[in-house]
Amino acid sequence: MSDIKLAFIVQQPQYKGETSRLAITHAIAYQTVEILLEDDETVTPKLCFVGEGVLGITKDQPAMEIYGITSTESHMKNSLLVDLEVLVCKEDLDKYGIPESDLPDAEDMGADVTIQVVPFAEIQKAMDEAKHVLMF
Amino acid sequence: MNLGVFVSDYALTTDTLARITADKLGIILVMNGVYHAALKENGKASSLLDKTKNLYALSEDLKTRGIADSAVDSRVKVVTYSDLVDVMMNDFEKLAWL
Amino acid sequence: MGKLTIGVFPGVVGNMSYDFALKIAGAAKDKGHDVSIWFSGNASGSVIAGQKHLKDYSTAEQHLKALLEKGVEICVCEACAVARGAKKDTAIEGIQWNAMHWYLAAIHGADRVLHIGGE
Repeated sequence: MSDIKLAFIVQQPQYKGETSRLAITHAIAYQTVEILLEDDETVTPKLCFVGEGVLGITKDQPAMEIYGITSTESHMKNSLLVDLEVLVCKEDLDKYGIPESDLPDAEDMGADVTIQVVPFAEIQKAMDEAKHVLMF
Repeated sequence: MNLGVFVSDYALTTDTLARITADKLGIILVMNGVYHAALKENGKASSLLDKTKNLYALSEDLKTRGIADSAVDSRVKVVTYSDLVDVMMNDFEKLAWL
Repeated sequence: MGKLTIGVFPGVVGNMSYDFALKIAGAAKDKGHDVSIWFSGNASGSVIAGQKHLKDYSTAEQHLKALLEKGVEICVCEACAVARGAKKDTAIEGIQWNAMHWYLAAIHGADRVLHIGGE
């Protein structure tokens, strides 16, 4: 079994630019990469939010109503629905005064996993264990 | 981890860089990041240059900005694109772009 | 020799990161490495054929054709490209069109990955 671990590190806030959103959608694509790989090959990303990247990932975002685009909240829920491991830096949430309870979950949609709020050390560990690191 | 980090801006958007630990860290200065290799603020060289002994600056980007090799901090190795490929493929296992 | 995968997200005009990506891709190919480039986000707009190469504007078409000629594999995110008005039949010939999982597959086979984010 050839599994490649990746660390997607999102450092930029959502909405002004699109690369931080593209981090989420590219990570979600791990679900379908198998069609392009050999039978025993997989890719396992960890999607990590640090610094200003923790801004704009909270729930109750009316992005569709105001910007006409899918909200980051929806993208985050989709990532949980496909069992993507999502890590959000605790120190940065605390720095910006964002309570953990403001983060979305997808339990009502049947997701088995939730967003993990972790110390930066865990995100460092994700980078150490990954074969490649992608900064968004 | 063995990590080569490309710094492409001068403004210190290096919050993440300040937090990352690596067994071997390389800082590769490209585009506006090359100012870290030569500019002094209030007489002091960039603090980025203290982070590791593995420092590189892209020759083409220095020249375009009128920075002579002689102005580059002695700790920084001036490299061409060809040299940079060797650094990327041989000296570091992972690469990151800031 | 190794395999280098480069993810390029910034647009071709107004961000020299795109230029850097193409130059490093060419340099790596010249040294005998296999190189794959993935375009997403604003970089996707660079695959439109018939670009006018104006002075003081970063250009893509001639450089992309040269890279393809050298054997560099280039793929664009179909959704990102179509959103920017690109069409397969009027795009630069030789560039592949696929979904985001193409990038992950190219990463799977790579020795080194340089992901260049930004707008």
